[in-house]
Parts: sequence; C-alpha cells; structure tokens
Amino acid sequence: MTRLSWWLLAGVLLAAALSLAAGKVWVPLDAWTAADPRSIIIVELRLPRTILALAVGAGLGVSGAAMQGYLRNPLADPGLFGVSSGAAFGAVCALYFGYAVQAWLLPGFALAGAAATMAALALIAGRSGSLILFTLAGMILTSITGSLTALAISLAPTPFVASEIVTWLMGALTDRSWDDVRVAVPLIAAGIALLARTGRSLDALTLGEQAARSMGVDPRRLQLAVIAGIALAVGASVAAAGIIGFVGLIVPHLVRPFAGHRPSATLLPSALGGALLLTVADCVVRLAPTVSELRLGIAMSMLGGPFFFYLLVSMRRRLA
Amino acid sequence: MTVLAAQRLSLTLGGKPVLHAVEAAFAAGRVTALLGPNGAGKSSLLACLAGLQHPVAGRAMLGEGDVRALPAQQRARRIGFLPQAADVHWNIDVATLVGLGRLPWRGRWGETDEDRAAVTQALAATGMAGFARRGVEHLSGGERARALLARVLAGRPEWLLADEPLASLDPAHQLEVGAQLRAVAAAGSGVVLVVHDLNLAARLADDVVLLRDGGVIAAGPAATTLTATLVGETYGLTVETGITASGQRYIVPVATTS
Amino acid sequence: MATAPLLLGAATPRYPRIVSINPCLDAILMQVADVRQIAAVSIYSQDPRATSIPLAQARRFAATSGTAEEVVALRPDLVVAGGHVAPATVAALARLHVHLVQYPVPADVEESAAQVRAVAAAIGHPDRGVALSALILASSRPASGRNIPALIWGAGGLVPGAGTLPDDLLRRAGFSNASSAYGLQRWDILPLEYLVARPPRVLLSVAAAEGGGERAERHPALARLGKRIAIAPFAARLMNCGGPSIIAAMARLRTVRAELVR
Repeated sequence: MTRLSWWLLAGVLLAAALSLAAGKVWVPLDAWTAADPRSIIIVELRLPRTILALAVGAGLGVSGAAMQGYLRNPLADPGLFGVSSGAAFGAVCALYFGYAVQAWLLPGFALAGAAATMAALALIAGRSGSLILFTLAGMILTSITGSLTALAISLAPTPFVASEIVTWLMGALTDRSWDDVRVAVPLIAAGIALLARTGRSLDALTLGEQAARSMGVDPRRLQLAVIAGIALAVGASVAAAGIIGFVGLIVPHLVRPFAGHRPSATLLPSALGGALLLTVADCVVRLAPTVSELRLGIAMSMLGGPFFFYLLVSMRRRLA
Repeated sequence: MTVLAAQRLSLTLGGKPVLHAVEAAFAAGRVTALLGPNGAGKSSLLACLAGLQHPVAGRAMLGEGDVRALPAQQRARRIGFLPQAADVHWNIDVATLVGLGRLPWRGRWGETDEDRAAVTQALAATGMAGFARRGVEHLSGGERARALLARVLAGRPEWLLADEPLASLDPAHQLEVGAQLRAVAAAGSGVVLVVHDLNLAARLADDVVLLRDGGVIAAGPAATTLTATLVGETYGLTVETGITASGQRYIVPVATTS
Repeated sequence: MATAPLLLGAATPRYPRIVSINPCLDAILMQVADVRQIAAVSIYSQDPRATSIPLAQARRFAATSGTAEEVVALRPDLVVAGGHVAPATVAALARLHVHLVQYPVPADVEESAAQVRAVAAAIGHPDRGVALSALILASSRPASGRNIPALIWGAGGLVPGAGTLPDDLLRRAGFSNASSAYGLQRWDILPLEYLVARPPRVLLSVAAAEGGGERAERHPALARLGKRIAIAPFAARLMNCGGPSIIAAMARLRTVRAELVR
C-alpha cells in the first residue's frame, strides 16, 4: 500500500470515529458503555450507519475509478451506465405501490432494477467492445428509467406519496440498520472485488484497445467484469441509500495526480477516498443547523457544482 | 526459432475484402518490411499476424500452430505489437509506460527484478533513459514514438510487429531507432515493419513484401526485390534506384504512371 | 447485537411519555395531553409556515426532526406519527422496540373525530378525547339551504377532490365541491383553462390568504375571473390537518358562505 493509501486509511478511521459520536444527539465517549441507554443509539443506529457510509463511499469511489479507466475519460461517472437510475426506478416502484412497508422489499426492488438494467446494457452494447455503443446504451437506459421514475412521481395518488418518493431519491443514510448493512455490504464488497481484478486490463487500455488486446486483454470479459462490478457496487449503494452522485466522479479525479495516473493505481485510493468523503459528508448533514437532516445526495450535489467549476477553471488555465 | 507466416490469408473488413489469399513467410533474426500504397492491406496483414484480426479464410501461423489458437497470455508474450495510433490516454510517466510492456509477464505479485531490468534496457535502447520520470503529455512526437517502441521492447518478444514505428521521427532518430530494430533482429527476434518510406525500407529491411490491393506483388530479399520495376508496379510510379557512394541503396519516385 | 426491550416495560403507564413527529398530531396533543407527558413535538410545529399550533406554545417543548436517533434518545413510551414516515425510520423504531402508532390523514370529519378519540385514549385521557371530538362534530354540523358550488384552490393549482377531508368540510358548510365537475380525483392539479371555462361560484384561494402566490394564481385570466366570481382567502393551515383545526376551518367556511348569501 502506498503512502497515499495509508494517509487515506488514517482519515477513514478518524471519520468513522467522528461519525459514531456526531449527530443531533451528540453522544460523548463516556456514554458508550452498555449501561447508558444512549449506547443503543451507537450500536443500533450509528454503527450500521457508519459502516454503510464507508461501504457505499468505497463502492462508489472504486466504481468511478474503474469507469474512468474503462472509458479512458476522466469525466466518466458510474451513473453513466444507467445502473443507478435503474436501481432507483426499482425502489420507486416499491414506494409507489406501497410495498416499502416490508423492510427488505425496498432494497430488493432496487437490486432487481439494477440487475435488469445491467442485463439490458450487456445486451444492447453487444459483443463489440465499442465505447461509443456502450456509452450510448448507458445514456438510453438512464433516460428511459429516469422518465419512468418521473412518470411514477407524476402519477402518485397523493402529494404525500410523491413527496415520499422524491425525498427518497435525494439520498440519505438516516436511520439505516443492521438489516441494510447485511444486504448492501456483501454485495458492495463483491462488486469492489470484481473491479479490483480489472486493474491490469485497465492499465493496458491506456494504450488503446488494439494494443491492449495484443497484450492479452479480452475486451468482452473486461466489459462484463466492469458492468457486473459496477452493477453490484452501485446497485447495492442505491438500494441502501438512494441516489448519491459525484463521489464516483470527484474522488478518482482528486486522487489521480497523487496516485500516479495509472488506472490500477487509482483503485484503492479511490475506495478509501470515497469512504472518507461520504462518511464526512454524512457527519456534516447530521450536524448542519437545518430543520431536519440535509439529504445526503443533495449535499454531494452541492459539493459537485463547485468542483466542476474548479475543474473548468483549471482546464482553461491549462489550455490557454 | 519458429516461423511466422500467412497461409492463403483472406480478410474482409466491414463487408469489403481487404486481403486475398496472401501467402508470406517471415524469418526470425531478420527485419521484414511490408510495403505498398494506401489501402494495400499492410496494417491488416500485420494485425492478422498478431492474432488481432480473424481471417475469413486461411490462417496466420506461428510455428506449427494458428496464431489465434494460442492462449492470449502466451501470444502476448511471444508477439509484441506496436499499433500505428500512438494513443496514451493518461498522463503516466515514461517509466510506467514502458513498464506496461511487462504486463504479459507479470504474475500475481508486483514487479520482479527481471521486469525492472527489461524496462531499463528498453529505455536505454531507445535513448529514453533520461525521460523516465517525465509525463507522457510533456513529450514531443518523436520522444513519444520512442517511448512506445520501448514499451514493446520491454516485453522481450520473439516477434516484434510494428506499424509505422518511425513515421514521426526526425532523420537522426530514425537512424538510431532503426539501428535498434536491427539489433533486436540480430539478437534473434523476428521484426516485421509496415513502412511508408521506401528509403527507410531499403536501409533497414533484410526482406520485403510488396502488397497492392490486398495481394502480394512480390516478396523476397530487399536487395533483389526492391527493383524499379517491382516498386513501380506496386505503387503505380516510375522510380529510379541507385546506390550512394557509401553503398546505401536509394529509391526516388519520379512520376506517377496511371 | 441483542438489545433488551428497554423502553417498553411490563405495562404501558397510565400517562405515557409521548413523542410526536407529526405537526397535525401535535395540535391534537395540545388539547388532550398533559404538558408533562409530551417529551417532544415535531420540529415543523416550531416553523411559522408549517405549524398548526401557536408558536409560543410550540416553543415550550423540545422538538425532533423525526429520525429514530433523536426519538430513541428521549426514551418515550409512545411515538405518534402520521401516515408517511420514512421506511427506514419505521423499521428502526420497530427494531428498537419503541411503540409507534401511525394515524393516517383522515378522509372526512367523522374519521378525524374518531382519530382524536383514539389518540386521547392511547395517551391515557379518553375523556378529553371525547370532549374534543364532540366539539369538532358540533362545529361541523351540516348547514341547511342551497349548496353553493365552490372550489378550494391550493398551492400550484392543487385541488382537493372527493374523498378528502377538505371536500367533507365544504359539503358540511353548505358548499358543493366543484372539483368532481371537472373529473378530478382525490388530489389533482386543475388546468386554469377548465377553471375559467366553468367557474364555480366562489374560489377559496390559498394564495390570496398568503398575499402572494405562484404563477397560476397570479395569472391574468384568474385575476379577471375575480370580477365574475368571489375569491375568498383560505389559509392552507386550515386544511393541512384534521383535528382541532377543523373547528377553525368550518368557522371560516361558514363566514364565507354567509357573506355570499347576503
């Protein structure tokens, strides 16, 4: 592990500790013993929430790094696949039909949505490794599932259901439980494991597809590994937390100059950086002096805007 | 050493026939140049020999077996392919770029001493040792071409197939890198190059294959095959050939014939 | 990670400790609960734009934003909420053995009155619930006389239709709800065109009550309509909740009707 990764790991541990203590109910360290009733908050609410923040952040970070490596584009985001939009649509269906009463149905529907979108992507993109076809297929799926989601919102029987759907879509880790952890974390871990193994092939792709193939990369297998890995990591993240964007875009971008530009070198730092970013953001939304908790997806979007602005400015400076 | 050969190789790309029943054999320890006008099928033939294209009839042979029948990693180790497009998508440094050439050899664990030695050797061979820490985006066209060649050399392949490796180099570097390619061949590998520059071919190649419209016009040792007649027929030109005072062959196009 | 059912003892105490995470239920609790019983109200009750109870009264209590984390820290015996609580929060409270009762938005006055009695019974004061329920029913005794066509025009053109509480209020106050004439469902957005083509006798406008309003309400067509029909301000607060606000809503509606008949 490189120096950068050690630093990021240290940051992650600090953020995790902060996340256990912080919130509208500030639980000091001496209250963590089993006798104090507030320890229930730590064990049953904060601990699973922290673990989820770490897992979702890591999953989104690695997915972004893998996506950028695969598409050879530093502006790629795992949302481009359409998987997050498809997973969101699955979850919205559960909310729309009122199935969300059962705790496991919401994530179940979301995962089904992710799986269906992944299958559609693999089908449409086809045997060719063509990036253009792939990107177009992702955009089509995002567009279709997005419109269906908007349709569900507009057809909602009462304004309260519509509001519930919109609120869920904005992303949050509020009140998540060990059940959510049990569903999401193994799937995210599986996704990360799949993506970690694509590192070498992504490095070879730096030289273009023909050169990569001459070095032994199988484009079809790589495409399937990337799709499956991102579907698992992102699908499970959406199932647990709604739509949280920008992590997959910002984190690989930030670590790349320090990690060395090679796609495989950005994978682990992106996982750690994503975990760090999301956990800190989750602490901030809990501590922000707003009426209720700021929605996590909204907080990330608010970070994303200025980040793009900074990107634009630095690009202009370089091109000028 | 094994022989690389095309046996009645036909290829169709996007519905268009590109190669017709091409027969050619390439010897190890020698530099062979593929020559011909645009659209003759030179790059396609090279890609078939590297196992990157699937011929519609016939086959590319490496030794006794079909190139495409080899397991991908073995093929990657035995054949080093340098494509024409000089893409490098990320601003990695030259040492990392050259290190990519070791990917077919890398096991589960990181870099080995052999990897490092191969990279160092390749950097020296292309005169890029001083650029090891330089980012690719900060290289000139010629420096980039040499770095990409170093990548292929680092893989220490049996066969080096390169598509226009010297095109963006200045004459001095063309001589230098050309000498490196000859050295690679002299060390026992086989080198097959696609070149446009007739004089470069005349200087570097032991053997040539002249292609036109997907078929072989002539093949054989450079000295006997690069005649004015055959070259003229291949390119649709009238050319004059001669020998300089120092014994270097030259070929000068004079006029088009068609 | 086994947690003891810490918060629910052998039997619910006579006057349970309550946390409410719904501003409508806060309004009911203000009338039927002891001050000491209420551990926290909803944060929305302390927001002047969303509250259904006097601000000064609301600010005397602690408030939560409705997350399980905050609720659990207060160790309530009973949590009351509306119909729409985030699934994660419902699951979290269930897992932590916190007793949650949800009271969906009532569809008519009778249901609201029954809800008031149920809430009061749950908190140990059934008598107060019966009293408040009687007040509510008395204030909503159906009016006599001809029914005047009316329409409640909410924010963004949202109109309550048949099967909603505002619909029941209208009918009891002596109006007929013109929404069914346009073919609207329970809650729908009515295009201005339909409204202008077949206007009701009186438009109860939320925007007029707030002295501002979005594009639909400021639309010139609607302004000109005002010359042909009566537009009466009708505060959104009066139809957000059932419970005690029904009394104020009915009073307002009867006032409007009286002015029209004159």
